[in-house]
Amino acid sequence: MVSLLKLASVTEEGVRFLSPHDGSPMLLTPEHSISLQNTIGSDIIMQLDDVLVTTSPDHARMREAMLRSVRWLDRCIAAHANPQTQNLFCIIQGGLDMDMRTECCQEMVARDTPGIAIGGLSGGEAKADYCRVVNTCTGLLPELKPRYVMGIGYPEDLVVSVALGADMFDCVWPTRTARFGNAITKHGMLNLRHASYANDLGPVEESCGCVCCRKGDGALNVTRAFVHHLVAKETVGAHLLTMHNVWYQLALMRSVREAVIEDRFPAFLHQFFRDLHRGEKSKYPDWAVEALRTVGVDLLQEEKQA
Amino acid sequence: MEIDGQELKSHSFKFDVLTALGPSTPAARLGKLSLTGRKDINTPNFFAVSSRGVVPHLTPDVISAHAQTGGIHMALEDFVERSRTSTPPIMDIHGSSPLHIFSALPSPFITLLAPRRTPAVAAPNGNTNTSITIFTSTGFQVLSNKAYINYISSLRPDIAISLADVPHGTTPGTKRRDKMADRTESWLSSLLASRTNAHTTIFAPILPIDANAQFEYFNHLEENATQIQGLALYDSNLLPDIPATTALSQLPRLSLDEPRSPNHILRQIGLGMDVFTIPFIGFATDAGIALTFEFSNSKQEDGGVEPLGVDMWSPTHSSSLMPLAVNCKCYACTSHHRAFIQHLLNAKEMLGWVLLQVHNHAILSQFFADIRRSIKEGWYEEGWKAFERKYDSEMPEKSGMGPRVRGYHYKSEGPREVKRNKAAWGNLGEVGPRKADVEMTVDSEVVVVSEDGAEELAKKRVAGKV
Ligand SMILES: [Zn+2]
Ligand SMILES: [Zn+2]
Repeated sequence: MVSLLKLASVTEEGVRFLSPHDGSPMLLTPEHSISLQNTIGSDIIMQLDDVLVTTSPDHARMREAMLRSVRWLDRCIAAHANPQTQNLFCIIQGGLDMDMRTECCQEMVARDTPGIAIGGLSGGEAKADYCRVVNTCTGLLPELKPRYVMGIGYPEDLVVSVALGADMFDCVWPTRTARFGNAITKHGMLNLRHASYANDLGPVEESCGCVCCRKGDGALNVTRAFVHHLVAKETVGAHLLTMHNVWYQLALMRSVREAVIEDRFPAFLHQFFRDLHRGEKSKYPDWAVEALRTVGVDLLQEEKQA
Repeated sequence: MEIDGQELKSHSFKFDVLTALGPSTPAARLGKLSLTGRKDINTPNFFAVSSRGVVPHLTPDVISAHAQTGGIHMALEDFVERSRTSTPPIMDIHGSSPLHIFSALPSPFITLLAPRRTPAVAAPNGNTNTSITIFTSTGFQVLSNKAYINYISSLRPDIAISLADVPHGTTPGTKRRDKMADRTESWLSSLLASRTNAHTTIFAPILPIDANAQFEYFNHLEENATQIQGLALYDSNLLPDIPATTALSQLPRLSLDEPRSPNHILRQIGLGMDVFTIPFIGFATDAGIALTFEFSNSKQEDGGVEPLGVDMWSPTHSSSLMPLAVNCKCYACTSHHRAFIQHLLNAKEMLGWVLLQVHNHAILSQFFADIRRSIKEGWYEEGWKAFERKYDSEMPEKSGMGPRVRGYHYKSEGPREVKRNKAAWGNLGEVGPRKADVEMTVDSEVVVVSEDGAEELAKKRVAGKV
């Protein structure tokens, strides 16, 4: 539970907050959250956790939240009615404090949940700090369990996090940014609301395979000009860009998997950042360069030919 | 640009009236409208109303998969806001059907181009002898007949409605009425003389004034009946007054009369209307109303008067596993249930409006299919009476919030607007232009998002979920 923050109060019992529907007071306990998820029946269910923004300076409160998340994990496991059919993931907490993250990893890994999430991130912390937390956690997690970093969606965050050993991600950003007229492409984001796209009769992204951009039989031939014509005016504009952006993210992760399987992931990373910054290494973000150095990939060096 | 999957079409339009032409009394009739390279349309039927080239909420792939409608009404004013400063992008497109290409409309659908949206926003300035005023997303503009003809010849719509001098929003006086008929006649003559009709079927407008005031115009239409292929009526009450000559009677009749409810459609069909544009479908969708009416000859008379639709915002549906309408076979009704639609509306998820739009169009398609069957089997009048007994005469009240309404959808409040407010849709007049907003309401009013949206949640200061 992201305790946001003035609106919710956290006690050992659970989280109290006002219903977003009718303003009535609600109490969410670990048991109730699991019972709800058992009813919904999803394949993966998440523990209730006590989360602070990573940038919180309150060390004592951060530690309390981490330890409480561990205790709540025990209550969630005890309450879980369908362990044979639904996979309960723990959520590692501990802010940006590596000792706390380490302690949390050890405690939670010992509980042997089917999957492990790294939580509390994507809350405005520096990217370098984010990478250190992911790196620290993945170094302590068992090989054969899925590692899910919550709330991550920017393409460069995805590929770097994979390099640091993460497996799964989720984010509203690709669809949310679509509603603001932004198209994700391998050369970066295009804001199709900009007047320069008004007469641009090219596809949203050349050689994209999504339903809007692809060529051949049954192609819709959606143009940038048409999206510009609709965006922020008709919901269809948001739908078209949503289809494109989600396709982009899925295709990106597919190409990541292929590169890993074919043992050419470092080359993939080089190509990814070359495309994103049009080959201008001076524009590569420091945090990405630093993070990838820790796993033996130096974006600023010429890539080694395998 | 040359993206054009279609064969270069040899444009051929045909309309066959399938029922015997009654010489005197107006009556419901069956017809078939066909155009080379497009779906055949059995009439009576309707064309979907578009906004900026799209049927609101339906992407082109969804249209292909789920829309049974055969044609789309498009308004030129939705495409030309850039004409004052540069080239409207749609004019950069070449090929056999730039309208299809620009709006990514699948080729089986017929495009019908009108100068103005339906309903149209009332213009502050009148029309002139050579031009009308249109309302684009950036404001009012003058559209000359010459420019309109030029657009038609470039955009090559399947069907174009000739420019009409219709004073949206005011009731014309006697002098004005004469002028309307004169101008409309002269604009039609120019269009026919331009020979754009080599690629485009031309429908001639019938003005919303009494028949005497456009008597000479009717004569003109009759003389040119071989060059026009249809009539577009701004007021369906004119139907009985159109000379019942063979030349004119055989033309398809398109209604631009903005029926407020199915009863109005039934009345117009009874007068011999063939094709409709029905803005209330979209109003219902945006209001969160699922249409539920059916046209049938069932005799059962119990149960009292039924509503024409269901307000899906009502909390009574929060755990209902029923389809939107009991007998509906649409995608929304066969894949989902009322509780889910309501959940989507509450969460301001755009999918809610997509499903409602698919459903509401399916309800109308079935309505017209049943009407055609009734005419064929001879129980149309009976079915119409049964419909009036069975259902409310007006649409249900709107209670919830729709997706945001833009300034070019509705603007000033002319007399027509007042009339519309009396309809149960209510409140449209209150929805003034809000051009300052740049993002869509559906985005800014999200209340519950998943945990990964915490960042946005924090910014919006609302509570999160599990
Ligand atoms: Zn694409
Ligand atoms: Zn349905």
